[in-house]
Amino acid sequence: MPAETPVRNAVIIGGNRIPFARAHGKYAKASNQDMLTSALNGLVARYGLQGERIGTVAAGAVLKHSKNFNLSRESVLGTPLDPATPAFDVQMACATGMEAIGSLANKVKLGQIESGIGGGVDSISDAPLVVTDELRAILMEANRARSVGQRLKALAKIRPGHLAPQAPGVNEPRTGLSMGEHMAITAHQWGITRQEQDELALASHKNLAKAYDEGFFDDLVTPFKGLTRDNNMRADSSLEKLGKLSPVFGKDLGDQATMTAANSTPLTDGAATVLLGSEEWADAHDLPKLANFVDYEEGAVDFVDGAEGLLMAPAYAAARMLTRNGLTFEDFEYFEIHEAFASTVLAQMKAWESEEFCREKLGLDAPLGSIDRTKLNVAGSSLAAGHPFAATGGRIVATLAKQLHGKPGKLGFISVCAAGGLGITAIIEGR
Amino acid sequence: MTPAATSFEEPRRIRTPKLSRLYLGAALDAARNTISSSGNLRVLPQAPVLASHPGITLEQVEQYRALFGGEVFDGVHRRSLPSVLVHIAAFPVQMALMSQDDFPLQLMGMVHLSNQVEHHQPIGAEEALQILARAENLRAHRRGTQVDIVVEIFSADVDVTADGGTQPLWSSVSTYLNRGTYLAGKPDRNDEQGPAFVPPTKTASWKLGTDAGRAYAAVSGDYNPIHVSSLGAKALGMPSAIVHGMYSAGRMLEGREPEQAGHRWSIHFEAPVTLPATVAFAAEEVDDHTIRFTGWNPRKVRRHFTGELII
Repeated sequence: MPAETPVRNAVIIGGNRIPFARAHGKYAKASNQDMLTSALNGLVARYGLQGERIGTVAAGAVLKHSKNFNLSRESVLGTPLDPATPAFDVQMACATGMEAIGSLANKVKLGQIESGIGGGVDSISDAPLVVTDELRAILMEANRARSVGQRLKALAKIRPGHLAPQAPGVNEPRTGLSMGEHMAITAHQWGITRQEQDELALASHKNLAKAYDEGFFDDLVTPFKGLTRDNNMRADSSLEKLGKLSPVFGKDLGDQATMTAANSTPLTDGAATVLLGSEEWADAHDLPKLANFVDYEEGAVDFVDGAEGLLMAPAYAAARMLTRNGLTFEDFEYFEIHEAFASTVLAQMKAWESEEFCREKLGLDAPLGSIDRTKLNVAGSSLAAGHPFAATGGRIVATLAKQLHGKPGKLGFISVCAAGGLGITAIIEGR
Repeated sequence: MTPAATSFEEPRRIRTPKLSRLYLGAALDAARNTISSSGNLRVLPQAPVLASHPGITLEQVEQYRALFGGEVFDGVHRRSLPSVLVHIAAFPVQMALMSQDDFPLQLMGMVHLSNQVEHHQPIGAEEALQILARAENLRAHRRGTQVDIVVEIFSADVDVTADGGTQPLWSSVSTYLNRGTYLAGKPDRNDEQGPAFVPPTKTASWKLGTDAGRAYAAVSGDYNPIHVSSLGAKALGMPSAIVHGMYSAGRMLEGREPEQAGHRWSIHFEAPVTLPATVAFAAEEVDDHTIRFTGWNPRKVRRHFTGELII
């Protein structure tokens, strides 16, 4: 073996997603597999991949039925892709899409695959309901029974209270707090105001609407079930309208509660995909090369007893990733910071500006510095588009790659926080 | 806490009783007292009680784990029993002590004020034990009479009555209040209110359903009516069933006790948690060895308990 095998570029060729829909609306009757298949079909059509054997397809969903144990593979089989295309499922909460895409980029870089499709899907409207643990234990006991008598004896234990179906929890299992409640604590600790959050939310809607109006999403989004644009978007919103809303999270902070339904992402259904490949593969198929997927970093924080905020992992991942690549914020043209909540973006940015945080928590000599707002989420982000958990990574990578296309060497920064104190940051480079 | 003191009388050896029978006896006793209003004794029984325990079964360990959703108890990486499960094993002995005819306070309606535990050595499942319980320190409280029940747990093979005493594996002081009975007189009137409660930053939220008392009862065997039924609770002066104090203790400690033991912790109960409830909870690191816990009602901003774990 040679002492050092040079890695090659992983090229982002393009992306396709379906418009994101507010939960229990337009996509109420679409399953995760329906939406992922549709997003893949759009990608296949756009890049002429019919009959093509792709190296690997990696995607996932955060809220997943057990019957969807092979969601990605089953979706691939529903597309015109070569049925010999392998696929695997990824699950890393809201960072699922980023992890799927990042791991595929690594495979391309190492020469293991020539092409890959990464992404994700989520549905709140078609979320799995499960029976209570008590009822499940009784049914399993009945299932194991060897005689009718034993079975009846087991089933006789069922009580009315066991029958209520259980919706998937949105609370952190180890704290019992919802993500919004966790974020309210972090926002309060960082002194983030209602005003800044509403301004960020408004900018997200304005930027997304502008991008749609300019046709930016024409080759990134394929209509689905009669929807052509993300239906959470409110182009006509205003600070006055946003200012009228009552807080929904952190209500025990009283008059210091700042998080409303508008500066928090709504529950949404949708799917997104990204096509990656080697330069050779892209050239051989006469496909565009929008950007390189340069690097990504996973992070996690100790949030259980509140030592760090639940959604602050990207703050740590960014520091390691930038140090490894010898970069500072000055080197980036665009920043995509996933708007789980407006305050998530603001807390991360405040942390990077804080000398104390960067020294004590990140081990840096100097703060990472501030981010120019004119470079932040310039085509809108999750507050406006919505956030079907696993689909957000695909939306962000495709959007940023397109922004950087035609700007060779210019860099884009990505930050995505996730449940469980997880997070991912990534770097992509225009070409 | 002192090791098994030898100044006490020879312990009275008892068989670990069934809690249900004790509660029945206590209820009858309460009824009798109401009728005859007989004068109570004013001294604590001198003799401790001593019971053998065959060991906490793996099945009980699993039930306890299921209750709090803790990590798997595999007997290898996690084998030291949680302190509260040890308390559960010893609780019937405490109750037996307090149910004796010569115990001066009525068992029914007794309020648990606080608990302090020193967990000296790890205790494993299926490990035979001896449980020694005695009553101490009958004293006045502004709302009645309080008493400490001291429990010490030894392995089955030591002589707990040996001269000089033996270091227990685990020991606790549970303080109870009997409301409205002033056997030790009334304390000097003390109107001093503590500083107003300012809740710390919460780190967790406990959603407790109406069945939280029954769920702990199923694991602990402690079917005290005040915890398991709304009617039972009303009969004992509570608006609805309240969760066991030691449920809060177990939940506050879950996943935080060291495997090699050698730690101590305490919990002080304030407003009872009436079910169903949402309890706001905070675990705050005081220093490298100390975690402070607070549980409170986030709506009424009333404190349910404070606790501390020192490792």
